[in-house]
Amino acid sequence: MIRIVSMLFVLMAALSPLSAFAQTGPLRIEITEGVVEPMPYAVPDFVAETADAQQYAAQIARVVAEDLTGTGLFREIPQDAHIARVSSFAAPVSFPDWKAINAQALITGSVGSDGNGRLVVKFRVWDVFAQAELGQGMQFVSTPDGWRRLAHKVADQVYARITGETPYFDSRVVFVSETGPKDQRQKQLAIMDYDGANLQYLTGTASLVLAPRFSPDGSRVLYTSYESGQPRVHVLSVGTVESRILQANTGVMSFAPRFSPDGQTVVYSMTQGSNTDIFAMNIATGAISQLTSAPSIETAPSYSPDGSRIVFESDRSGTQQLYVMPASGGEAVRISFGQGRYGTPVWSPRGDMIAFTKQNAGRFHIGVMRTDGSEERLLTASFLDEGPSWAPNGRVLMFARETQGAQGASALYSVDISGRNLKRVRTPAGASDPSWGPLQ
Amino acid sequence: MTRGTQISAVIHGLLALWVLFGAAFRSDPPEMTVADVTILSEEEFAALTAPQSQPSQPAPPRPEARPEPPPPTPAPEPTPAPQPPTPPEPQPAPQPQPEPPPAEVQDTVPQPPAPEAPPPVQAPDVSARPMPRPAPRVAPEAVAPPPPEATIDTEVQQAADPDAQSPDTAETQQEQTAPQEAATEIVTEAERPASAPTSSLRPKARPPAPQQVVQPAPEQPATPPQPTPQPEAPAPTETAAVPRDDVAAALAEALAGGSSPSADPGPPLTVGEREGLRLAVQECWVVDVGSQAANVTVTLAFNMAPNGTVEGDVRLLDASGGDGAAVETAFQAARRALLRCQQGGYQLPSDKYEQWKRIEMTFNPAQMRLR
Repeated sequence: MIRIVSMLFVLMAALSPLSAFAQTGPLRIEITEGVVEPMPYAVPDFVAETADAQQYAAQIARVVAEDLTGTGLFREIPQDAHIARVSSFAAPVSFPDWKAINAQALITGSVGSDGNGRLVVKFRVWDVFAQAELGQGMQFVSTPDGWRRLAHKVADQVYARITGETPYFDSRVVFVSETGPKDQRQKQLAIMDYDGANLQYLTGTASLVLAPRFSPDGSRVLYTSYESGQPRVHVLSVGTVESRILQANTGVMSFAPRFSPDGQTVVYSMTQGSNTDIFAMNIATGAISQLTSAPSIETAPSYSPDGSRIVFESDRSGTQQLYVMPASGGEAVRISFGQGRYGTPVWSPRGDMIAFTKQNAGRFHIGVMRTDGSEERLLTASFLDEGPSWAPNGRVLMFARETQGAQGASALYSVDISGRNLKRVRTPAGASDPSWGPLQ
Repeated sequence: MTRGTQISAVIHGLLALWVLFGAAFRSDPPEMTVADVTILSEEEFAALTAPQSQPSQPAPPRPEARPEPPPPTPAPEPTPAPQPPTPPEPQPAPQPQPEPPPAEVQDTVPQPPAPEAPPPVQAPDVSARPMPRPAPRVAPEAVAPPPPEATIDTEVQQAADPDAQSPDTAETQQEQTAPQEAATEIVTEAERPASAPTSSLRPKARPPAPQQVVQPAPEQPATPPQPTPQPEAPAPTETAAVPRDDVAAALAEALAGGSSPSADPGPPLTVGEREGLRLAVQECWVVDVGSQAANVTVTLAFNMAPNGTVEGDVRLLDASGGDGAAVETAFQAARRALLRCQQGGYQLPSDKYEQWKRIEMTFNPAQMRLR
């Protein structure tokens, strides 16, 4: 044994100076901290290939830029700072010119016509520093009145190729449009593009409407109407703008409806006597099942994306908190334990988060938490924030914010789930109760 | 009387005499203090008693740490008749430490001063946590907002000095730029401070320092440095003294391989050089903290040219934490950071090129994910 140890000692002593200088492989570096800032990109005006496409070439490029910059993840480099000029969609890209202005991504495109009066939009996305194209070139065709959708489609593709996530620009929002003073406010359902364009009204102002909710395919809208004097759940076809009462029982109040992920079931709250519970109704058969039976108030149900669970709010513990239960009913597990009251939970389309409204210390917040209640983060704070709704990709939340005072008005806002990029959504009048529809 | 009795009587008699007149019961007289006594007159005694009111030896240090205010200056006494000028007394030699002021002599051991009770803290013990400042950019290091007239750039440049002498290049006026404002973390609207903190913790008084008594250090005899005892080499045994042939062969092989000049990559990169490369790349690594790609860790492999630029393709060596789209996005972001920040080449020591010719760089966003 002593002999072996002695031999090893001699070997180690002889080799130790060499090992200090030995190169055993490549240099290994670990980067653990980066920066969070918008990515600079450039989008020159699209090239007009025909005379009638001239008026759309610049407009489409502007909408693409507004979509990307509006996410807070991108920063457009102004066109007057561009060095290179794109005169042809097929021309090679002068990468040094775009590198010189620190553009990390470049979007080139053209607008033409297919000979039948329809617009044809082609585009490419370039990684400037890698001097390579991101994905492949693509084209969309539409009638001229759909040029904004064409632009949203292009922006969706750019967003997806750069971020690797599903986009949300070509989507719509249904909400309650509000006009008039607070004590005589008139409310009607309205639908618009996610950025506030192409506004349309779905109902009149004769009766009060609340809490519209898109179906998963965007073809229908559930909402609560006081048309009959009591709150009742209605379903409206977006295409025909026809609505009907979903539940024919009289003498009961039903509200807070929401579709299941497959669109076949509606879950809602119904008040019988003085008790409010959650029910589910199969739309095709009209079969109703009661999911909760507690003496407390259970409301605001929302399905998980896989349809297996439902998150809802309840005051069964004495204060308004969030609970999760199986979609078929059963034992509910409380997930919110912070200070204050929690309400209007909405499950993220990604399935990993739950958005909610929180009231604490006289202020309202929009926040998110994991589905088990952990990692709660408050994203906003104001006199009154409520009713969050997820973007189709689960990345952005839209909600209603009301200002204080007799002249206070309600408006729609959106915020990234990181808490950044809080901004107001453009609406012609007051707005509340947004419901973000699916990607079209 | 026998002879023995006579001898005994004589001895006892001598003993008795020694006891009586010898030293057995004689005690030493007490030592007496002898002092010189001088007979003084009353005038001489009065003249001597005045200076004797001061202590003849230095008083122990006063317990109070704070020096007392100087004694009031005595009122000038009426000047007597002019006296002949007294010859200047020799100035005492400067003392390293002034004598402490006179104090009453106490026959008890001076106690250290009791520590003063700290003043009551009137401010609350809890102050509002300073909130981070929201900024459009989140970076490892915070940057204060630049003045509004400053030009923001990714690379900070100093203003060109028109007086600077350049040997052969024409001066081009360069605009001064400022770094982009940055915060160290994302601050949501809910986390923004509504106002400045209303109160903060008042710093508590420091406890009085213990009084130091200078004790003369005992003189240490100068000891000559002892030689460090060296461990005794083990007695050579037969095993160690005679290495086996295989050990000698392995040693010779290792020595032969290491001495080859073609395989010697030179000294490794220092920690500073590695950190410099890491910091240079991370400044360009843009992480979308809300995306699925923020869960993906990717490792890139690439070769470097001697001028510090990336040479050839950047390959994805490994990835974990996400699906295909998230991995591809994370890879693109990492590659973009690597290529964007190299500019004219990373600052790496050219004499150690063999050490950084091949690099594997891992981009791990774990610390940046939303929490």
